[in-house]
Formats: sequence, C-alpha cells, structure tokens
Amino acid sequence: MSQHPYPWTGRDLSRRTLLSGFAVTGVAALAGCAALTPGASSTPAAATGPVTTALPADKKIMLKVADADDTSMTPALLEAFQKKHPNVTFERQYTGWDDYLKSINLTMSATTAPDIAQFTPGMQNLIPGGLLLDVSAYGKAYGWPDKFPGLDQITFEPDGKTVGTGALYGVPGGLSFEGVYYNKAKAAELGLTVPVKTVEELEALFVKAKAAGELALVVGNLDGGLNHPFNQLLSVYLKPEDRTAWAFGHKGATIVLPEAKTAAATLKRWVDEGYISPDVNGISDEDATAGFAKGKGVFRISGNWAAAAVAKGLGDDAGYFSMPQATADSKIRTTGAGVYYCVSSKSANAAAAAAFLDFVGSEEAAKITADAGFMAPKADAMPAKTGLLGALQEGWQATVRDKGLQPFIQNASTPTMGDTLKTQLQLLAGGKATVDEFLAGIQADFDNYHK
Amino acid sequence: MAANRLSGPVAAGRREAPPIQRRLPAARRRPRRRPASAALLYLAPAVLLYTLFTVLPALHTGYLSLFDWDGVTLPSFAGLGNYRLVFADPQLRAAAVHAGTLIIFFSALPILFGLVGAALVARHRRRGMGFVRTVLFLPQVVPLVAVGIMWRWVYAEDGVVNQVLRQAGLGEAAQAWLGSFDWALLAVGLIGTWVVSGLCLVLFLSGTQRIDREIYEASRMDGAGPVREFVSITVPLLRPEIAVALSITVIAALASFDLIYTTTGGGPGNSTVVPGILIYRLAFGGGAVGLASALAVVLTAVIFAIVLTLNRLIREVP
Repeated sequence: MSQHPYPWTGRDLSRRTLLSGFAVTGVAALAGCAALTPGASSTPAAATGPVTTALPADKKIMLKVADADDTSMTPALLEAFQKKHPNVTFERQYTGWDDYLKSINLTMSATTAPDIAQFTPGMQNLIPGGLLLDVSAYGKAYGWPDKFPGLDQITFEPDGKTVGTGALYGVPGGLSFEGVYYNKAKAAELGLTVPVKTVEELEALFVKAKAAGELALVVGNLDGGLNHPFNQLLSVYLKPEDRTAWAFGHKGATIVLPEAKTAAATLKRWVDEGYISPDVNGISDEDATAGFAKGKGVFRISGNWAAAAVAKGLGDDAGYFSMPQATADSKIRTTGAGVYYCVSSKSANAAAAAAFLDFVGSEEAAKITADAGFMAPKADAMPAKTGLLGALQEGWQATVRDKGLQPFIQNASTPTMGDTLKTQLQLLAGGKATVDEFLAGIQADFDNYHK
Repeated sequence: MAANRLSGPVAAGRREAPPIQRRLPAARRRPRRRPASAALLYLAPAVLLYTLFTVLPALHTGYLSLFDWDGVTLPSFAGLGNYRLVFADPQLRAAAVHAGTLIIFFSALPILFGLVGAALVARHRRRGMGFVRTVLFLPQVVPLVAVGIMWRWVYAEDGVVNQVLRQAGLGEAAQAWLGSFDWALLAVGLIGTWVVSGLCLVLFLSGTQRIDREIYEASRMDGAGPVREFVSITVPLLRPEIAVALSITVIAALASFDLIYTTTGGGPGNSTVVPGILIYRLAFGGGAVGLASALAVVLTAVIFAIVLTLNRLIREVP
C-alpha cells in the first residue's frame, strides 16, 4: 500500500502545466466551435431543367431510402420496383416515427443524405435550405396531378411556410383518412340506426348510448387524440378554403371563425355531456383504440390505420361509416394524411428516384398499398375487400370522388402546432379553457410563426 | 493521503527498489524526475474523450445560443436576444415552478425514506441484506423509459391504483391520474420518489457501515432510544452521503425529462411541463435551436448554482 501506483501525480505536475493543458483544451474546443458553424447553404437549389422519364437500364444505380413507415408498404414497393428495374438497388433505413421526426432534418442536411425520404411535418424547413428537390418538372412529365390525390399537401412556396401553392416536392404513397368506427353488436343492442348522415344525428345516437350507460365515443387525449374528432368537425363545419388557408399556413389566415367555434363547441359539449370519458386526458390514443377493439364504448373516430386492430378485436362486430356531415346532402369532407415520398436535392440519381415516385401511383403499387392497410392513390385499382376493410374502401372511394381529403390542421400550419394543439385540447377537455380561449390559443401559435 | 505523500518521486527514489525493478533497464531504474508532459500523456485519453463529448458540445450549445437557427438554414446572429426571450417566457416560469416542486419528490422524500430505512437496518443487521439492497436498488437499473411506461399502466383508468381504490370502496376517487390537472404533477413526482429512494437507501446503508458500531453501543448505554440515535448519530455522521444524495437527486429533479416525456409529455395542458421538455420541444420540433440552447445554458447555470449552494450549506453545518 505504501507504493502509490501513479508516482507522478501530486507535486511534480505543476500548476502551470495543468493550466496550460486546460488552455490547450479550451482553445481546441473553441476552434471546434467555429468549425461547427451551423446551417446549410441558404441558396435554394436551382430549379430542375429538362427532365427525363426514362430510366437508364445499363447503369447500376443504388438509391438510399429513409422512412418511418412501420407497415409493409415501403419495403414491398421498393421490392416491386427493383423487380421491374434489376439495375436499381435500394438501401433502406427505417426509423421509428418519433425519432424520425426529430432527426430527419439533420439526416437530410448531411452530405450522405438519402436519395428518397418519407416527407413528414417539419420537413418544410428543408425547403428554404434547398435540401429538397423541386420535382415539378417530373410531375409535369409524368402527369402526376392526374395520378395522385393530395398533392397540395406537399406543394410549397420557397419559404417553406406556405403550403398548397408553389413547387411540388413529392407524391403520396399510401394515404390515410378518418371516419367513424362502431361496434355493430352494441349498436344493435341499443337500437341505434347506423350509418347516419349528419353530425346532429350522430349526437342523437350518443345521447341514446349514454342513456343506456355506455361510453358513446372512445377517445384518448393523453397525447392529444381529441384532435381526431376536432379535425373531423372542422372538416364538417369550416369552409374548405378557410381550412386550407389555415392548415397550410397562408399569411393572414385565422381559425378564430364562427364555424371553427361551432366545431370546438360541439367537441366540448361531447366532453361535458359525458359522451366522451371524463378521464380522456389520461388515456393515450393507442390505449383508446385498444380499448375500443376490446369492446369498450360504441363509437370511435379514427383513421384507417386503426382498421387492422379494430377488425382483429371486434371481428364481425366491427363497423365503419364515413364521417357524418353538416347536412344530409353535403359532400363528404374528411381529414387525412399520407406517407409522402420526397427526393433529396443532393441525389445523384434524381431521375431514378422520380421513376420510383411515379411507380408509387401505379396500378401495380395500388395492390401493395392496399395490402398494407393504406388507401392507394389510384383508388379504383385497389383490390376489392370485404367486411370492415371493404367499408373503409368504399369510404375512401367516395372521399376521392368528392375531392374531400383535407389536411390535419397540426401537420402543416406550424412546426409546433402538434404540441400546441395537444396542450390546448387538454385544457379544453379539462375545463381549463373556454372555446374562445382554445381557439385563441392555437391562433397565437400560428401568429407567432407566420408573423 | 499518506500513501500519496510517500509516493512522490523523491520519496520513491529514496526507497529501496523492489527486486522486480532490478531487472529493468538501467536508465529506467535511475531515480529521475519525470517530465510533467508524461502526466498529460496519461491524462490525454480521458481529457480527449471528455473534451470531445462533454466540453465541446457544452461550449457549442453556448455558441448556438447566440443565434437564431431553425436547425437547417443559415443562422443569423442574435446576440443575447434568446436569453431575453428565455426570461420573458411565462411558460418557462411555470416550468421552473414544476421543476422546483419535483425537488420535493426527487430529493426530500427519497432522502427521508433512505435515512429512516438506513437507520432501521443499521440498528439490527440481519442476513439477506444483500438481497434487500438489490431489490431496493432495482428501480435505478431499469431504464427510465420503461419505468415511465410501466407507471402509465399503474396510473391508467383501469390501472392498479384505481383497482385498489375500487376494492377499498373509494371508487369515486378513481380517475386517470396522469390526465388530471390537479394530480398529474404529484403522480409523476411519486414515480421519481420510487426511482430515487432505493439509490438513497443504498448510499446511506454504505454510509452506516462506515459508522463505528461502538458509537451506537455507547449511545445505547447512555439510554438513547431509536429516535435519539437517529437524530444525534445516524443523520450527522451521514452528512457526506447526504450531500452526495442531495446533489444527485436535485440534478435529477431539475434536469428531469425522460420520465415526464414518457408519462405525460408535459400535460395535461402545461401542468407538468419542465424545462427539459421545453428544450426538447423547441430544439427538435419547434425549429428554435438557438432559443433551446439558451434555455439549456440557463438551466445548467441554475443547477450548478443550486447544487453548489446546497453542498456548501451542508458542509458548513457544524
């Protein structure tokens, strides 16, 4: 014990040596900082010149793909495309949704950016940085406007803040949309006549269910799931142009409108009257779907992504109808999104990437997309399904026919709207905010970003 | 310390070399003052890693806090503007209050439980202590994300807490605790207590083993009961351990993120928002990297100040 293993520690390491050591470290660190000056070039990539729709067959092409699609769609689409074009290979990099959202902007800024990436809310920030490829020219050459619904959701002005006008940055692969699931057994037992055409009639069914001691509408708002019925009610009541302007972040747009107030007041009434569980703020959206699939409650407003779980849980008792509208003869308007693919401006094989984007809208792709539980861009090419999936498919075809697909208000309006809407919906449902305060709260986030 | 003093190079030179050193080359055997640069060489790996992964990112955060940056496009210099925004933000004040409240659950309660537990165990040592320690320490080993998800089930509408309440005939009080504006912060805080208490207990247990048993025996001879023994012997003699526990747990409370993120995400409303959540939202969702960095710098400074003050206070108490 008397022999210290490190005899040079202590006195002979002079204070000066130590200090100079630290100084060197500090200087190195500062130099490092300067080298790490953040940010990409702010010059947007030059618009693409003449483009080709031909894919070179002799050259070996490797495309890197980044996505957060946890279904079988993306891998199956890649495989099918590769089968058609054997000289093209893919290197797919899958990331879970939350992590993808938070990391994709950095991934796309890297010199090794993927050629094709799934477009997610927040990626509009990449547009002023010139990191996404403007595919308008490819769109024109391939005729994408006739092949894909929902292209407006991935069309941006150069500032990246205004959606719906400007240049095209990608196409949707699988689309999703929302409607009303119901428990057929319970509906029969309670004597509810479904489907219904108007929100008023739907609410009358809620009243009956409540009177029979049933939970009328299953919702979980721990992570903001009330946004599903709210988005739907906005689709029902808000004028489409007001909805588009706000959801797409157009300058001067506002949601403090009488129609939006009707939507929010309807939602609040559903909570206050007990059609929605008073515990709604403590239930996650996922648990709400799981509970409904296990037989809890009578109705659930959600998207086609929940279909598999509901069909599995309720079996033949799983029912679905399109979202009721303001009046019985209204066109169907509903909220939806999709798995959109975009192309990196750094891609050396943009033509091949564009060929893949075009393939996504094909008849062949429609089957793959439908099998994965999504709605295909080419709605009439989807293989016919029966049961719950058949009902969903009918709803989708009607939605495409009525051109009724509208964006979620939180996806494109501002990058922080997801969190803000969640917070405000919790305040509204918890009785901590009035309808007016709720609308003012989400408008404040909008004004803060689009000032 | 004695070993350290003896082992200075001069002392080492005077010492008779052990046999193994005779076989070393002559040059190495000669007592010689080693150049200080050798010390730096040995320090280099640690210093390099620490600099690369801790010092540099910290400085970089400070540097970024001076910019308006969305994380992608070119940033614009903002000076101290971000710091002005940090102090003007009413949401941040709420977050600070919540983090302060969490200190009760992450520090005060666990230290109290730890002290009482350690005192009970220290009085009567029994077999099987290793097992008990392991069980109590277990929450520390489980990743916080798993802890959060597990407790989400416990607090859920049909979770264990409500099942127990209903069994006890208190079904009226049953609710989804994490969704309640009144209870969410308390519910999240108690998860923290559950996680940290084991750490405190193990820390204090190892401390009590350092306390001479004769002191306890002497106090018992003088007629001290368990309470007196606790107040007059266990607590004062465990002061170094308490200081360590306080530092660790206060940092855990003020810098908390993962637990809140996985349980409530800051909700309902903003009732459980803490600075860590705000930083995350601003930097990764909100495209306000500069503001988030400024907030991170301020949070770090506040934690430093509080922990240093606490440590000083504890050391100074006679």
